[in-house]
Amino acid sequence: MRILGCFKAVPALDLLREEDWVADDSLRVDTEYVKLEWNCFDEGALEMMRKLSDLSEGLNVVFELDALTVGGKKADSFLKILYALGFSHAVRVESEEGAYTPPELLAELIAAYIQKKAEAYDVVVTGVQSADASHGKTPYLLAEMLQWPCISQVTGMEPAKGGCLKVTSQTGRGEKVQIVRPPCVLAVGNAPCAYLRVPTLKDKMRLGNRPIEYVDPGVLLSDAGAFADRIETLLALCPVDRSRDTVRIESGSPEEKAKVYYEQYLKGRLLKL
Amino acid sequence: MAIISREQIVEGLVKILGKDQVITDEKVLKESSLDRYRKYEQVCEVYTQPIPAAVVNVMSAEEVSEVLKFANENEINVVPRTGHSAIEGGLETALKDSVVIDGSGMNKVLKVDTYNMQVTCQCGVPLQALDDMLREQGYTTGHSPQSKPLAQMGGLVATRSIGQFSTLYGGIEDMIVGLEAVFPNGKICRIKNIPRRAAGPDIRHIICGNEGAICFITEVTMKLFKWQPENNRYIGYKLDDQYMKLGFDCLREVMVAGYRPSFARLYDAADANMHFSGWLEEGKAILIWMAEGPANITPAIEAGIKEMMSKHPELEEVNPALIEKWYEGLNWGPEQIAEEAEEIKATQNIGITTEVSGSWDNIYEIYKTSCDRILAEVPDMTLMGGHSSHSYINGTNMYFVYYYNIVDCAPEEEINKYHDRINQIICEQVIKYGGSIVHHHGLGKARAKYVTQEYGSSYYMLKTLKQAFDPNGIMNMGTLIPLRK
Ligand SMILES: Cc1cc2nc3c(=O)[nH]c(=O)nc-3n(C[C@H](O)[C@H](O)[C@H](O)COP(=O)(O)OP(=O)(O)OC[C@H]3O[C@@H](n4cnc5c(N)ncnc54)[C@H](O)[C@@H]3O)c2cc1C
Repeated sequence: MRILGCFKAVPALDLLREEDWVADDSLRVDTEYVKLEWNCFDEGALEMMRKLSDLSEGLNVVFELDALTVGGKKADSFLKILYALGFSHAVRVESEEGAYTPPELLAELIAAYIQKKAEAYDVVVTGVQSADASHGKTPYLLAEMLQWPCISQVTGMEPAKGGCLKVTSQTGRGEKVQIVRPPCVLAVGNAPCAYLRVPTLKDKMRLGNRPIEYVDPGVLLSDAGAFADRIETLLALCPVDRSRDTVRIESGSPEEKAKVYYEQYLKGRLLKL
Repeated sequence: MAIISREQIVEGLVKILGKDQVITDEKVLKESSLDRYRKYEQVCEVYTQPIPAAVVNVMSAEEVSEVLKFANENEINVVPRTGHSAIEGGLETALKDSVVIDGSGMNKVLKVDTYNMQVTCQCGVPLQALDDMLREQGYTTGHSPQSKPLAQMGGLVATRSIGQFSTLYGGIEDMIVGLEAVFPNGKICRIKNIPRRAAGPDIRHIICGNEGAICFITEVTMKLFKWQPENNRYIGYKLDDQYMKLGFDCLREVMVAGYRPSFARLYDAADANMHFSGWLEEGKAILIWMAEGPANITPAIEAGIKEMMSKHPELEEVNPALIEKWYEGLNWGPEQIAEEAEEIKATQNIGITTEVSGSWDNIYEIYKTSCDRILAEVPDMTLMGGHSSHSYINGTNMYFVYYYNIVDCAPEEEINKYHDRINQIICEQVIKYGGSIVHHHGLGKARAKYVTQEYGSSYYMLKTLKQAFDPNGIMNMGTLIPLRK
């Protein structure tokens, strides 16, 4: 079974000093000095993929794990770690360092990559949302573009008979376990293990330097060359005005105040309903 | 080992201190049997050391004196404690039915004397609280270990700790003025606060660095300095990892030229990557300085260092703002400790440090050969690197940082399979090249086994000190001097 894990490397925002949480002239918070880390949901998702592969040992199924990110050169070190952890293929869709890619575009790029691939993927695994943009839309948009079903808030995956997966997810009403026949998109939520295992230095040397596949985003999009135009830039922030007038009903007993309140402020509104 | 029963120990302590100050809760006792030297056992909640009979909270030098007298008469091993941030086994209760004497309740700042530029406080004053309070008034102790949010004055003096700004302010041994300590026979001794004296040996150094194996520190007077962060200047350069030897030489050049930056660091690429990966390319080491002090001095230090470094084409200057922002987030508090525990449990990957020192002519060999040997001899390593963070006119320290996966290994075996093995390699290389096996964490129990090699012929002096002050062997046995098996 071929599984593609999609992830994002994000700035470790908890290392940002309080006084640096300010927008600069281009309305961005400068996170350049903090290190990058796995987006938390993606980290749990990638570890889940590794565990799935561990669980398959002794079974008659092989899980081939690939990884894809849309990002700048700094993401390469993350892809190398995945190689060292036994991932078969690592892909970086090239974009400018730190550029904001809206979820619609992100999903389109991933979908296009999957569709252009000669060997079909069976499953795509993502985190439910990223820590920097927090849209929580990419997996759903991706599933729609691929015309695949999507399970969100996934907390576990296990091999199941007949080329299926046993997928556990959290729902509003509790935990749900489903036997799923691929293809599907699985969006991992609060994984029980949120940390990715660490490769040894020996594995890094042995496996970590395999070539990363670099993909020009323009080649993936139907309207070639439009990639740069579609990278959204924040132009302005307009706070929503939620201020309200306050009136203090000063004198009188509580009963009198309640009466004034009803007559002058509440009655009219109730009549309108 | 105690000549009375566990129950009698508790009874005796209750008689001295009252019930409320004598803790016998099982969980507290277990957690008090070890420190971060056995970090993996701590995380797994596996306790291999003898569980103490009690933890006692002392509130005055007189109480400490009474407890020590009782312990001395009944040959009970005691382990002094304040912030509980020790990382070399100094807090392990190595003997059966030990008593942990906790001074963290003695947390009063007794006097801030800004005319004589000194501050007096009890042993349980947390350094972070003290320095924050002083900074509000425009002063600082100048002491800033990474454990500032955890450590307290007693432990900081007992371990001969050092802070990030040591190149300017020195280690704690340069900052202490006077001290009060209680010895095993109950004698309370005060060393008065004076700027200097030549009245015999400097007896402060019997107390400073004693690691709870000679006396219990109850009060500390430290020097004060002006806090003027507005004048701080930051200087940074990146260089290829292969130029680490040059990096050490650059640190040396600055020291030898007579500059006193407060902060002087060299990170190798592996270590640098953990801190600066947001902007530093893989494979790059980094050199950092910070100048602190009066407004007319810091620009001069900055200019001087820059001029010297401009002669090295291998160095590339980095934006100083990146260094400034990074260093402010360097300290570790309880939050980071808790997060680390979660990560270790989840990944079975653990990070440990070992700090040593060497002269300028051997520090690179110590660094290089230790790293090479560890990588060749220890399995499951996931990171091996380090940094130099405290420089002197005649040498510098090396702070080894290493991570490994714990594979097929019970919690109680981890220390033998990995941690001690790595420590051993580092200590062997340090001894071979002539450095010191401990730069600032203390010998604790982890490295006590190397004490005779570390001290050579002067071990006689350390042993005599211990025997003279602690003839019954009740003070933190196994620390500084190993237990005879
Ligand atoms: C995340 C982290 C970062 C660290 N960074 C640094 C650093 O930058 N620089 C540095 O020097 N150290 C560092 N350390 C080590 C540690 O914080 C220091 O050794 C510190 O001085 C210990 O202070 P404490 O109050 O926590 O002492 P404890 O942990 O309570 O005790 C430490 C030792 O001192 C003895 N002791 C404690 N109180 C007394 C007393 N009142 N009288 C006699 N003996 C006593 C104990 O028996 C023990 O041997 C770090 C530790 C951690 C966990």
